[in-house]
Amino acid sequence: MTVLNGKVALAALLMASTAGAQDSKAGQAPTAQQARKASVQDAVKLPKATVLQLKNGAKLLLVEKHEVPLVAFSAMVRGGALGDPEGKEGLAALTAELLQKGAGKRDAWQFAEAVDSVGGSLSVSPGREALDVHGQFMARDTALMVELLSDMLMRPRFDAAELDKMRERMVSELAAQKDGDLRGLIGTYFQAFHFGAHPYGRPMSGSESSLATLTREDVLAYAKAQMGGDRLILSVVGDFDAKKLAKQLEAALGGWARASAPAPVAPPTQPAKGRRVLLVDKPDATQTYFWAGNTGISRTDPSRVDVSLANTVLGGRFTSLLNTALRVKSGLTYGAGSLVLANTQPGPFAISSYTKTESTGQALDMALDVLASYRQQGMDDATLASAKAYVLGQFPPTLETGLQIASKLSELAFYGLDASDVDEFAAKVGGADKARIQAAIQRVVPSREDLTLVLIGKASDIREVARKYGTVTEMSITDPHFAPQASAAKK
Amino acid sequence: MLRQKLLVTGMLVLAGTAACAQGRSSRTETSATAASKPGAQVKTKTLKNGLKVIVWSDPDNPSVSLFNFFRVGSRNERPGITGLSHFFEHMMFNGAKKYGPGEFDRVMEAHGGRNNAYTSEDVTVYQDWFPRSALETIFDLEADRLSSLAIDPKVVESERGVVYSERRSSVDNNNAGLLMEQVQATAFVAHPYQIPVIGWPSDIESWKQEDLERYFRTYYAPNNATLIVAGAVTPEEIFSLAEKYLEPIPAQPAPEPVRTVEPPQQGERRVVVRKLAQAPLLQMAFHGLRGRDEDAPALDLLVRILTEGDSSRLHRRLVEEEQVAIAVGGYQGAGFDPSLTWVLVDLPPGGDLGKAERLLDEELAKVVSEGITDAELRKAKNIVVADFWRSLETNSGRAQALGTYEVFHGDWQKLFGATDRYEAVTREQVRKVAAKVFAKNNRTVGVLVPEAGSDEAKKEAAR
Repeated sequence: MTVLNGKVALAALLMASTAGAQDSKAGQAPTAQQARKASVQDAVKLPKATVLQLKNGAKLLLVEKHEVPLVAFSAMVRGGALGDPEGKEGLAALTAELLQKGAGKRDAWQFAEAVDSVGGSLSVSPGREALDVHGQFMARDTALMVELLSDMLMRPRFDAAELDKMRERMVSELAAQKDGDLRGLIGTYFQAFHFGAHPYGRPMSGSESSLATLTREDVLAYAKAQMGGDRLILSVVGDFDAKKLAKQLEAALGGWARASAPAPVAPPTQPAKGRRVLLVDKPDATQTYFWAGNTGISRTDPSRVDVSLANTVLGGRFTSLLNTALRVKSGLTYGAGSLVLANTQPGPFAISSYTKTESTGQALDMALDVLASYRQQGMDDATLASAKAYVLGQFPPTLETGLQIASKLSELAFYGLDASDVDEFAAKVGGADKARIQAAIQRVVPSREDLTLVLIGKASDIREVARKYGTVTEMSITDPHFAPQASAAKK
Repeated sequence: MLRQKLLVTGMLVLAGTAACAQGRSSRTETSATAASKPGAQVKTKTLKNGLKVIVWSDPDNPSVSLFNFFRVGSRNERPGITGLSHFFEHMMFNGAKKYGPGEFDRVMEAHGGRNNAYTSEDVTVYQDWFPRSALETIFDLEADRLSSLAIDPKVVESERGVVYSERRSSVDNNNAGLLMEQVQATAFVAHPYQIPVIGWPSDIESWKQEDLERYFRTYYAPNNATLIVAGAVTPEEIFSLAEKYLEPIPAQPAPEPVRTVEPPQQGERRVVVRKLAQAPLLQMAFHGLRGRDEDAPALDLLVRILTEGDSSRLHRRLVEEEQVAIAVGGYQGAGFDPSLTWVLVDLPPGGDLGKAERLLDEELAKVVSEGITDAELRKAKNIVVADFWRSLETNSGRAQALGTYEVFHGDWQKLFGATDRYEAVTREQVRKVAAKVFAKNNRTVGVLVPEAGSDEAKKEAAR
C-alpha cells in the first residue's frame, strides 16, 4: 500500500463551508477565464454564470466549460440536518441515502446501473444546513443526468425494504468507523459536546441510537417538509449549450412542488465561557486524538479573509505555528493544525492534533501555549507577507475543475454571497493589514480560558492528564451516541 | 481530514492503473481541440546527467504542478531498514546546504507554494503546487536538496517520532490498515513487497545515519528520477531552468536491481488478527500483475466490474442482497513487479465472517467459470473513459498521469494510447485473467476478529 501524504499538514480547512458535504474536492488550478495580470499575482475570477429563477423558486446557475467532454453539477437543497426533528438525528442523512435507492421508473438496482453504466457519478450527502448532491457525467449523457437528478429529487421511491436495509447499514457504518482513523470522527464528538442542544451539536450522520428509531413515515414527512423547488440551488458546469440545458432543466424541475414547511433557520451561536473536557475512552488506543476550540465565525463574516489569514498562520499550512511546534520541532505528532468551520451561524474554530498516549499532556500543553502566545503576539510582518503569498498562491487550484466551480457557485448562492467573494479575494488578501488581523485574532481565536476540549484515547492512562484542563465528562467510544448523556458522570 | 474508509479506492491512479480511454469519438463539436491531438502540448528533454524532464503546458492556468518521481520505494528495502524509503522522503524536507532545516517549506510557502510527497512500494514522488511567479525559486529549492541534503542527526531523531505517529494513525489505530499490513506480509514469502511502506516499528526506531546517507547516494540521483511539470509554463523555460539548476548534479551508478522473484504460490495462506474492535474485516489478496503487463487493462476492468459502484457484482451481492457486508472495495496493485490485487470487505458489528467469505468465493468462482457480460464490459470501459477525462481536468492529474505512464509503463505517450488498449479488451481476455488471478491457491485471506476487552477494559467500562 502506498503511504500517502508523506508530509501532510493536518487538513486545515480554510473557511470550509459545512453547509454542504464535507468532501474535500482535491484538485489544482483554475478556469479558462481568469484575468491575466502582468504582476506576480495571478488572480482567479469566477466565470460568469447564466442565472435563472424558476416559478417554483428554484435557482439555476449554468456555466459552459469546454476543455473536457464532461458535465458536473452541484445541487443544494436548503434544510439538511437542520430539518432533523429533535431526537431524530440522521433523518436527513437517511433521506439523502434513500434518494439514490430508486426513483421514477427505476428501482435501486436500475438506478445504480444507470449511473454506473455511463461512467457517471452521483452522490448525496447530508450537510448541516442543506442536502448536497454532486454529480459528474460525460457530456454526451447530459440528458440522462437531468433525468436522474430530477427523478431523485422529485420522485424518490423511499422503498420500505431499501429503507430498512439502509438504516441498518448506516448504524453499522457508524460503529465500524470507530475502528478506523479517528481524525475524521473526532469532529462529530466535538460539535456534539460543544454545541450541546443547539442544532449544530447534532451529528449530521445521526447516531447509532437515533438512527435506530427512524421510520418510513419520518422520511416521508422530512421529504414533504424539507424538500421542494423553492429550496433548490443547482449549478451546472461543463461541455454543454447553456440555452438548451436551461430549457431541459426548466422542463424537468419547474414542476417540483414547494416544501410544505418554511426553511429551518439556525439560531445564533455564541462562544462558550470557561472550560469543559470530554474524554472518550478507547481502551485499545495507543494514540490520543484531541480538538480544543470554541465558536468561531459564520461563512458571511465581514472579517472572513482576515480570519483565513490568521488561521493559515496558526494552523492552516505546514509551517504553521502549531505544526512547527508539535511536529517539526518536537516530533510529537504527524500533524497539528487548526480549522474554521463556517455555516450560516458561527461554527467551531478549533486546534487539533494527536500524539502517543504517553505524551498527551505534553502535546496539549504545547498546543495551548501556542494558542495563548498567538493571541497575545499575533504575527510579524514577514509572517503576514508569507501568509498572504501562500493564500493567494493556493487559491486558484480550488477553482480548477467543473465540479469545483459548480460547488462554489452553489455555495455562494446558498449564503447570499456574490461573485465578489471570489473575484475580490486577491485584493482583500493583498490589502489585509496587521492591526485588523490582530483584532480578528482577539475576537475569533479561542482563548486558553474559554475552551471546549475533546480527547479520544485510553482513558485509564490519560484520565489524570485530562483533569488538568477542566471538569471532565467521560463516555466510551462504544456508546451508541456522540454526546455524553445527561447522566454521564462528571469527574 | 475525512478519509475514505477504504483508503485504497482513491489510489488506483498512484499504482499506474489510472484509467485511460477514448471518448474522443463522442466529443461534441464545442469541445476544445486540446485533446484532439493527444500529447500535442507535451514536450520532453533528457539532461546530460540522465534526468528526463516532461512538460505539459496549459497557458490557461495561472498555477503549476511539479512532480518528481524517484525509482525507490519499500521494494528496495530489507530487514533492518524497512520503512527507510518513506523515512527518507521525510528527510528530504528537513534541510540541505543552502536552505537549512525548515527553510524548504518556509521559503516555498512564502512564495505561494505548497508541497507534499508520497512513498509506495515502487516509487517516491515529490509534489510542489505553486503560482507561476515562484518557478525559479522552486527549482533552486529542488536543486539544493537533490545536490546536497544535510541529514542532520538531531532532526533524524525528532523525525522518528513523526513517522511513528504516522504509523499509529494509519496502521496501529486503524484496523483496516493493520490487517492489510499482515495480509501483505503473508502474501509474499520472498519478494520485498512483503515490507510495509511505513516500516516495522523496531526499524523506525533504529535505522542508522549511514543507511540514510547510502540511500541518498544510491537512489537520489538525477538518472534515477523523472521530473514532470504541468501548468502555466512553456517547455523552453522549464528546460532552461532544469539545465541551470539540475543539470550540474552528477549522475550516479545505476542502483542494484531488485532481483528476487516471488515463487509461485501453491496453496492458500491465511492470517488472523484478533483485537478490540467494533466490527470484523475480511480481506483477500491475490498475486496479480505488473503495471506494464499486457493483461493489466483487462484486470483493471474486471476489478471495476466486481467492486466499483452500487451496481458492481460484489456490492450488489454482499451488501444489498445478502447484507453480510457494509462496504466492498477492490484495488489492483500495478507496480514494477507482480503486485497484489485486493478485495476488501467491511462487515457490520457481529457480522458473519464465514458467510461473507463463502459468498465472496461464490462470486469469484462465477466470474472465473462464466466470465462477464457485454453490458458489464461496456460499463467498465465507460467508467474508465470518464475517469480518464476527470484525471486530466487538473494540472496535478496531468502530472500524475504522465509520471505514471513514463515510470511504470516506460513511455508517457502510452497515456494517450491507453484508451485504445482498454477498448480492445475482450470478454474472453477478462475471463482468462480472472481464472489466472482469482485462483484459490493464489490467495492470502486475512480476517480481523473482534475480541472482547481485557479485564482492565471491562473494569473501565463499568466505571
